[in-house]
Amino acid sequence: MNRFLTPSRHTWLHRANPSLKLAVLIMLFIVTIQTRSIDFAVYQAAVYIALLFLLSGYPAWKVALLVLSFSLVFVSSSLTMILFGKGDHVWWQWGLFRVSEESFYRGLHLGFRAIAFAAEGLLFVMTTPSVKLFYSLMQNFRLPPKFAYSFMASIRLLSIVWEEFLIRRQALRIRGVRTGRGPRGLLEHVRLYAVPLLSQSIRRAHRVAVAMEAKQFSGSGRRTYYYPSAFSWYDGLAVLMFVIALAAAYYAAAALPWFGIEDVRYHGQG
Amino acid sequence: MTMQHSAVHETGQGADQRSGQIAVSVTDLRLKFPGEKAFVFKDVSLSVPAGEKVLLLGPSGCGKSTLLQVLGGLIPAVIDVPLKYADIRKPRSGGYVFQDPDTQFCMPYVDEELAFVLENRQVAREDMVPRMQEALGRVGLDLEELHTPIERLSLGMKQRLALASVLLLEPEVLLLDEPSALLDPEGRQQIWEAVRGVSAGRTVLIVEHRIEEIVNWVDRIVLFAPDGSILADGKPAEIFTAYRRVLQENGIWYPGVWEDYIRHRDTWNSGLLQSPQQGADLAAPVLSLRGFVGLRGDAPAIMVEEAEVYAGDFVAVVGPNGAGKSSLLLSLMQLLPTAGSYVLEGRPLQGRGRKRTCPSDRIGFVFQNPEFQFVAQTVLEETAFSLHMQGGMSRAEVERKAEDCLKTFHLHGLENRHPYQLSTGQKRRLSVATAAVRRQAVLLLDEPTFGQDARNAFAILEYCEALRRSGTAIIMVTHEREIAELAATQVWEIQGGSLTAIKPGRRRLEGDGAASDAQEEVSG
Repeated sequence: MNRFLTPSRHTWLHRANPSLKLAVLIMLFIVTIQTRSIDFAVYQAAVYIALLFLLSGYPAWKVALLVLSFSLVFVSSSLTMILFGKGDHVWWQWGLFRVSEESFYRGLHLGFRAIAFAAEGLLFVMTTPSVKLFYSLMQNFRLPPKFAYSFMASIRLLSIVWEEFLIRRQALRIRGVRTGRGPRGLLEHVRLYAVPLLSQSIRRAHRVAVAMEAKQFSGSGRRTYYYPSAFSWYDGLAVLMFVIALAAAYYAAAALPWFGIEDVRYHGQG
Repeated sequence: MTMQHSAVHETGQGADQRSGQIAVSVTDLRLKFPGEKAFVFKDVSLSVPAGEKVLLLGPSGCGKSTLLQVLGGLIPAVIDVPLKYADIRKPRSGGYVFQDPDTQFCMPYVDEELAFVLENRQVAREDMVPRMQEALGRVGLDLEELHTPIERLSLGMKQRLALASVLLLEPEVLLLDEPSALLDPEGRQQIWEAVRGVSAGRTVLIVEHRIEEIVNWVDRIVLFAPDGSILADGKPAEIFTAYRRVLQENGIWYPGVWEDYIRHRDTWNSGLLQSPQQGADLAAPVLSLRGFVGLRGDAPAIMVEEAEVYAGDFVAVVGPNGAGKSSLLLSLMQLLPTAGSYVLEGRPLQGRGRKRTCPSDRIGFVFQNPEFQFVAQTVLEETAFSLHMQGGMSRAEVERKAEDCLKTFHLHGLENRHPYQLSTGQKRRLSVATAAVRRQAVLLLDEPTFGQDARNAFAILEYCEALRRSGTAIIMVTHEREIAELAATQVWEIQGGSLTAIKPGRRRLEGDGAASDAQEEVSG
């Protein structure tokens, strides 16, 4: 699993400062949230997906696999709106389902925005190792080491919890445990997994914390850093690139609109 | 009581006389965990001169690890436990190595973990890499690349990495809290070799159950009683001759513990074994494998060309860590998809890969960590659960059988406890009880004696032997050379993902002869 998640090459976007990258991407998130034009949403999704292929450092087939999974995101976020959203120009109606022109476009708009979100998030995650991010946050944004190292330690523990989950599943199969259906069965299921996994995790977390403090970790105060985190011209390049990408999406939406709907919000008729 | 007191006084006075060279000491320590009735320590004193290598020995739960944490200053600075003492001398710097290799690290890579220590000590970045290399060199950990994922190291290597990171603290005193308890024999040897290599000029305090590798090296042994008082304090040779009885009673793995055990148990003394069932048809194996492969993903994790297990067999599965021993057990349970011929009680498993179903009605399985296999809220329900799964019994019958089984495993009186509230040894016994209560034809055990004290380990072994005599075939993965030599009728050697050799054990199964004394029943 870990090997699958390691990039095969490092692009210059990997070298950009993680904190800065995070800040820029949060701004892009906000832009995407505020997008009302369906064309702008489509082009944002397209531009970020293109960047994923160019700069993530992963082989194209892996990126393609991830992008394909976006279709699920698209369907799940757009379908509800398409089927149940408000609208006056009804195209099709059956029982509770009511597809109108307005709800249809609003659904598509939601779907494309969801894809744009997913691509932005992946762009960050795929080019930023978590350890580097926390080192950068500590050095550039004065995040207390207490939090940074807690996060890094817990990321390490997650993979152990996953292994234990698999062991527990095997054990339950051997014991022949079968849970009923419905909410009761679900609750039983949760209890069967949560109790052993939580008890192990709590004990383990406590031990890790003791081990860390035994190594003279104080949680605050002065320390040196193994990974220096400074700003470089890659950061300027990253900012520039994201601005250009956003501008390109905006002008493409204006110049080559697919739907031509400026604002998909439903205002009703009086 | 009087003897303990005088011993305490002696060490107390000694501390005053040599206070110039005392590395750590505590006088009249009293400590109690909040919410518990009994004191862990009541007026315990101990003092260790600089440079001395001391082994703290005692039964599980006697408070040795707690004392180590007090002496190194973890209690009360990091772990808040109320305590009182007349006087304490803590080392200026102490370094701990703990038992569990997976809970000592907070970073994913070797270099990052070592850097964590250097950063804490504000070492300049340029000096970091040379210091890391030096520390790794001193514990004998040769890595091609500093930036190696910790998860790729074996348990033994992880413990040496923990020792290396402690060295970066440049500690006066090394505090080792069962550092070899979870390692295989090879790993144990390596970690102690590394400890010996780095301890010149340092005071070393060790808590450990498995002590074969270090008894001849430590200068002094402090022996604790179950109530946390100091029973004896002296040179290893003296302790082992004068207190052998106490060591046995408390389940400590002293050198020669196996020999003593075998001498006093007739169970194991007959060379050849009789088959459990009189005139049983030994021509028909209970389990037979031919061209059997267990798969992880698409890659074979374990291959068995040919192997057969008969009723009353005791198979010891041996081999280095990661060779595929656990994979073999999982494959036999069909928890890994398998291919090839697998005949169980005369019936071949049909199909291939995931289509084969888990034969839990015919094979019992004991996991390495007992907690993972518990499903019920009380000990009694836990045992009854397996019987309910079997079906065809009235509630009263199930209850009676479950209680009988608990008696056999010395768990009666604990029926209403939650399984998690049992001691380590009791949990292990319960896990064997629940796996064996249905009397399946085969019982698989994954290192059941691992991390147990000697008394519990012997008890487990005897339960297995009793089951074997009643006709169950035992297949046990183990690192204990002695178990393979003592109990096995067959020894399977696993190496590099395949069963490379099947050797007859000391007690090879004999087909003929009366088996009157081998009819002992285990339960119901």
